[in-house]
Amino acid sequence: MTPALSKRVLDEYAAIRESLPAGVVSSERRHEAIQALAARGLPVTRDENWRYTNLRPLERARFGPVATAMAALPQPSEADLPGRLEGFARYAFVDGAFAPALSSSQEQAGLTVRRLPAALPALSTLPEARLALLNEAFATDTAAIHVSNTPGKPAAVELIFLALGGADTGTSYPRVQVNLDPAARLVLIERHISAPGGASFVNSAVNVDIGSGAHLTHYRLQQAGARATWVDTLSAVLAADARYRLLAVNTGALSARSTTHVRMAGPGAELALSVAALGDRQQVQDNFALVEHIAPRARTEQTFRGIASGRARVAFNGKIAVRKAAAGTDSRQSLRGLLAGPEAEIDVRPQLEIYTDDVRCSHGATAGKLDDDMLFYLLSRGLSPEVAQRLLKWAFLEDVVSKIEIPDLRRHIEHELAGQMADAASLKELL
Amino acid sequence: MLKIDDLHVTVDGKEILKGLTLSVPTGEVHAVMGPNGSGKSTLANVLAGRPGYEITAGSVTFQGRDLLALAPEERAREGVFLGFQYPVEIPGVNNVYLLKAAVNAARKHRGLDEVDAFEFLALVKDKMRLMRMEESMLSRGVNEGFSGGEKKRNEVLQMLVLEPRLAILDETDSGLDIDALKVVAHGVNTLRSPERSLVLVTHYQRLLDHIVPDHVHVLVKGRIARSGDKSLALELERRGYDWVSGEAA
Repeated sequence: MTPALSKRVLDEYAAIRESLPAGVVSSERRHEAIQALAARGLPVTRDENWRYTNLRPLERARFGPVATAMAALPQPSEADLPGRLEGFARYAFVDGAFAPALSSSQEQAGLTVRRLPAALPALSTLPEARLALLNEAFATDTAAIHVSNTPGKPAAVELIFLALGGADTGTSYPRVQVNLDPAARLVLIERHISAPGGASFVNSAVNVDIGSGAHLTHYRLQQAGARATWVDTLSAVLAADARYRLLAVNTGALSARSTTHVRMAGPGAELALSVAALGDRQQVQDNFALVEHIAPRARTEQTFRGIASGRARVAFNGKIAVRKAAAGTDSRQSLRGLLAGPEAEIDVRPQLEIYTDDVRCSHGATAGKLDDDMLFYLLSRGLSPEVAQRLLKWAFLEDVVSKIEIPDLRRHIEHELAGQMADAASLKELL
Repeated sequence: MLKIDDLHVTVDGKEILKGLTLSVPTGEVHAVMGPNGSGKSTLANVLAGRPGYEITAGSVTFQGRDLLALAPEERAREGVFLGFQYPVEIPGVNNVYLLKAAVNAARKHRGLDEVDAFEFLALVKDKMRLMRMEESMLSRGVNEGFSGGEKKRNEVLQMLVLEPRLAILDETDSGLDIDALKVVAHGVNTLRSPERSLVLVTHYQRLLDHIVPDHVHVLVKGRIARSGDKSLALELERRGYDWVSGEAA
């Protein structure tokens, strides 16, 4: 962080800190976050794990929350949001602030959703999690989800974060806290959308704490508008035998960066992390994921499928760290990138850091073009080169998309992906 | 239907076809036999338009048109079908999607409306029964996890659904056990008609017991060394390719 930028963050904070809701984050915590930022600085492209990120929008961003900057924004309506999914309670946030008119709570056994978390987790000291400090300092609301024992079917919650304000008016700070008691189960859908033409700046922070034997299925869709900047930090802790299925589909924003930090803190915990990212035109889709195996016998499966077209850059930097006590760790990484344009860039980077002997770690990483034999096969059946290429791109994402277990959500994502692959009429007909 | 005249083709600078001339009239079934490396697969691939083959001389006309001037997808829409020797697996592209997209591409080319989804599915299932294929294969990825025999059956299934004017089957018999060979041959035979031509590219005579050709050609070192009726295949079986190769040398 340049001294000028650092000073601007501090100045902006000082100017509005009185107006920030102390109930969401206490003023002490906000102050600590700002101090930590001042000490550690914001990331720069020179930093090892930020080299693929487009950090330039930070230089122009206003860090104060949009919600306080523009209290009188025109309220969006239900029609601006994606269709509802049956059985899911919906909580919508506009520019980081809860929007009751767009939400519909639902009585579900064991489920509590509040705007204020009962207790905040300790801040991650991971250098890659620094952008979450901005969220901590400036947040205006929280979606705090707590699930106690769920005897029947899992609790089902959908969170929608809609960004309307432009980056020149401030930042939108989505903030989520998920706590699962032992054996609890939750299916969580988290969507990020923004005004289609608006250049919003979104900085979201998600904290997940999964109790022993609890199961969380978490779908994250980043569908921000074509001019938006979207940065995100997710920190999760898994207790013994906890299971976390995290599936992210990133198609939106001009510049996006997602940081995921999962700690396998209990023996026998299981993580399935699947990410699909599509970049076209000048888009930057950067993903960093660190999975730390701290306790024994935990399992991780990482799947990444990214497609870069036009002049886009799509990156996935997946690191698995196996600590000394994590004997019996089983981790698999399958990272694949597809170059679909002569000026596009794909960076897939598996990293392994192992401090114990008793592990099974496998990884495969490839970046390449469409397979010529597959392409010719489709052409030889009469498909046009454009349709054939689109079909193959589609097929490439299948390893991630096929893991979506909610049929309506899967259809929605398939249409979204088909739409992203430009001129999708011929593909949609196939869906 | 198909006229190949003095065709010369090189691959990576090496000449594989060295003046091949062959004519397949409408309604006939021709077998092209030959030893390994004689240029059989090159011929099949050149007709379908696979990239990587340089045509240095000669011509190929299909129904009076210059076939070599057409892109692979245009050839397919005009009614040329290649049954691949090694059909590629395409995980994630659903079999039935591909069939439908292929049929619709050809229909659009002819100015016809798209097929009705239900009628189409019924037709495909009907052809699948003919090919003794499990219906569950429809919803799988193209050739994904198929055995060698299943892949070949799937090629013939595609051919039956697409109803090409000219089908070139490249070693469709290789890797098949005798039961599968009969199924495949039966499928191919149902497509024989006075309006359609078939070119069977094969190494062995046994396929021709089940799909009886009108003419047999022996390809040696990039040229047709000998042509005859079906008895030529039997003679080849008896005397081996050395017999023709020796004559050609």
